[in-house]
Amino acid sequence: MKSDKNLAWQPSATRRRLLGWGGLSLGLAAMPARALTREPLPVVATFSILGDMVKEIGGERVQLTTIVGPNMDAHNYEPTPNDAKALLQAKVLVLNGLDFEPWLPRLVQASGFKGKQVLASQGVQVRRMSSEHAHEHHAHGKSEGKPGSAKEANGARGDVDPHAWQDLSNGKIYVQNITEGLSKADPRNAAYYETRANGYLTRMKTLDTEVRAAIASIPPEKRRVISSHDAFGYFGAAYGIEFIPISGLSNEAEASARDLAAIIQAAREADVGGIFIENMGNPALAQQVARETGILMGGTLYADALSPPDQPAATYLGMLSWNAGRLVYVLKQSTAAN
Amino acid sequence: MSSVIELDEICLGWRDKMAVRDLSGRFLRGSLTAVVGPNGAGKSTLLRGIMGWVSLLAGRIRFCGRSGDDVAFMPQQGDFDASFPITTREFVAMGAWRRVGPWRGFSFRERDRLEEALAAVGLADFGRRPLATLSGGQLQRALFARLMLHDADIYMLDEPFSALDRATTEDLMALLEAWHAQGKTVIAVLHDLDLVRKHFPQTLLLAGQGVAWGPTEDVLTPENLHLARHLCAGDYL
Amino acid sequence: MNGIEALYLPFAEFGFMRRAMAGAFALSLAAGPLGVFLILRRMSLMGDAMAHAILPGVAVGFLTAGLSITAMTIGGMVTGLVVALLAAAVSRLTPQREDASFAAFYLMSLGVGVLLISLRGGNMELIHVLFGSVLALDDAALMLVSSASSVTLLALAIIYRPLVLECLDPLFLRSESRAGPVVHAVFLMLLVLTLVSGFQVLGTLMVVGIMMLPAAAARFWAISVVGQMAIAAFGGAFSSYVGLLLSYYANVPASPAIILCAGIVYFLSVTFGLQGGLWQAARRAHARSLRLSRNRERDVLGKQ
Repeated sequence: MKSDKNLAWQPSATRRRLLGWGGLSLGLAAMPARALTREPLPVVATFSILGDMVKEIGGERVQLTTIVGPNMDAHNYEPTPNDAKALLQAKVLVLNGLDFEPWLPRLVQASGFKGKQVLASQGVQVRRMSSEHAHEHHAHGKSEGKPGSAKEANGARGDVDPHAWQDLSNGKIYVQNITEGLSKADPRNAAYYETRANGYLTRMKTLDTEVRAAIASIPPEKRRVISSHDAFGYFGAAYGIEFIPISGLSNEAEASARDLAAIIQAAREADVGGIFIENMGNPALAQQVARETGILMGGTLYADALSPPDQPAATYLGMLSWNAGRLVYVLKQSTAAN
Repeated sequence: MSSVIELDEICLGWRDKMAVRDLSGRFLRGSLTAVVGPNGAGKSTLLRGIMGWVSLLAGRIRFCGRSGDDVAFMPQQGDFDASFPITTREFVAMGAWRRVGPWRGFSFRERDRLEEALAAVGLADFGRRPLATLSGGQLQRALFARLMLHDADIYMLDEPFSALDRATTEDLMALLEAWHAQGKTVIAVLHDLDLVRKHFPQTLLLAGQGVAWGPTEDVLTPENLHLARHLCAGDYL
Repeated sequence: MNGIEALYLPFAEFGFMRRAMAGAFALSLAAGPLGVFLILRRMSLMGDAMAHAILPGVAVGFLTAGLSITAMTIGGMVTGLVVALLAAAVSRLTPQREDASFAAFYLMSLGVGVLLISLRGGNMELIHVLFGSVLALDDAALMLVSSASSVTLLALAIIYRPLVLECLDPLFLRSESRAGPVVHAVFLMLLVLTLVSGFQVLGTLMVVGIMMLPAAAARFWAISVVGQMAIAAFGGAFSSYVGLLLSYYANVPASPAIILCAGIVYFLSVTFGLQGGLWQAARRAHARSLRLSRNRERDVLGKQ
């Protein structure tokens, strides 16, 4: 009979309920799996050191783009359209602040970035640079040459030392800020980030202890060096080494004879153990100083950027380790020589 | 008389312009020949072609007789830089290049010849003067002196008397005749037909093509001149 | 420190000042005479153009071997000659004039050079090549500048007569010898050599300054070619000396200071030079007018 046939095809109410609940629970079960295979969090870091930190903390759950790559100069960087594109697609922007990236505000505006900005240096005790370095940062701004550019506007406030990461205790603050920022933007993975950050901080603490021990092995009165870029204020203050910066010899400004003479004079008088150049300055002038004063050339110290992967300072910890190692090595040699 | 330069159906010119077309004839050794014709007739180009400075697009140029026939060329005043900081004496001294070369010093004999040449053209007191301070006539005399110093077998002169007064022209013409008397071959591009008729036994009338070549009185006939004028499309002698 | 001491003490005290002086001095000795010839041949802007044409060669040398002097020198020489040859070829085979074809090639060359340098280093490397490092001359750089300078002076002495002829009356030279093109080529090579060695000292932008400014000033003091060459050489050396002192005492960058001094020397020459300087011309005009008025007076008195 008709009514019988119909009844035979239709599932019973119970069966329907079962099917409904089964489908729902399957769907719910599938969702966490999807969360696990969700796309990584797109993060943009302004320069290589921050990029390294983000990579350490975020692991494979973040997709990192670094704007100013290894060995490149963040002070004078000119953003490219690709940077704007990457920024627009990012959810988190990690920046150093402290006037380190004068080109950033314009880039953020131009790209239409709507995500979260993480100020890595938030909460850091800020140092002021020596007056010589302030002059240098003026030169940074001026020699850009474009009237009304963001760089020139920031040049006047350039007496804040942005290189806070050179002190590992500040590095800890950076990591904490970045972790917090990533967690807020991607709460699902907060625990993951937390775990990784803790491991990182442990390694950082170990390195900090090692560095202090190594430097302690050098008599305090010998802990004086000349460096070609005043980026080590925080390092010097934290670990007890006096850095005498060579002003006017770094990146843009061409040296005047007086500047060079002043350094040589200072080097002759100050009894320093070594002369260091960073990976971005003009090596020829520092070599000239070494030639004339007979002070050991210390090689490269990394200040504003990491080195490419095949060189020793490719990670943040690697960079600090290398810098400390070189300093200790040179100071030991000059101590032995005297 | 033997010929010294033979032209065989030559065409001289550049990519986009043929200056001299189908010219045949010969310059006899020791002749004094004027090359005349309307403006744009290719007279200067002919001289430069013979020197080898303009491409020979067709035909042949033959230098006969003694090998190593020395050819001296006098350019127009516009062809060199008279404002160059050099004294008149140094300028004239260049004429001795063949003998002195780039490095050898000037012997006493050479210096005497230099002074003779300067005196012959009336520039004996002008030796020290910078070249730039010479007037047009004095500069032309300096060019003659330089040519004298060269002491070549064949002289080719490009408008040697342009912008000179009568007196200077006559003086310098005497030099040409002296060379002619010494048996040298002289070929000169000229504009002044009276001068040509008076002093030059041979004439080549050129108007892009050769119109007539031979003894002056046979060449410079009214018919030939008329023809030349028309061949050069409207320019007047 | 009294006045006289101020003039030599910086050099006595600091090795880098002595080196800078030596390098700039060697450069001036060669660059000055070359500049004089460039001016006489009406090729004054060619020096600057050639300096820019050399840039990609220097850049390639720099890219392959860092701040290696040998690499940059060879690169610069090769590129300079290639540009010169290409320009000559284009002007010979097409209706284009040589100065236009040279302009085209050197500008292309400059673009390629800037691109290459930016690829590797970023701005500050570029600036070091552009501005040079006269205060940072090491032994290799000094060696290069001195030997390049010696070679240039020697070669100039050898080709002096044909070179003068080639400037003054190229047709005459052509009729006398076939040395013309050879001399032209040698001159260009010397130019490139001096520019490349000068890169180390003053950088690409300023090296032409030390070549042209003293040479342009020289014509206000000497009539003969040799006289101008000597004055240009020592004028450049003097400007270097004063420029270095200026950099020392006034705390200004060294290579622009040298060029500015050369500029001041030029300006003074234009004004006070004994051969056609403005002051002398004014003095002569004044004397002439005095003479004329005196003659007029005499005539008037004579008539009475």
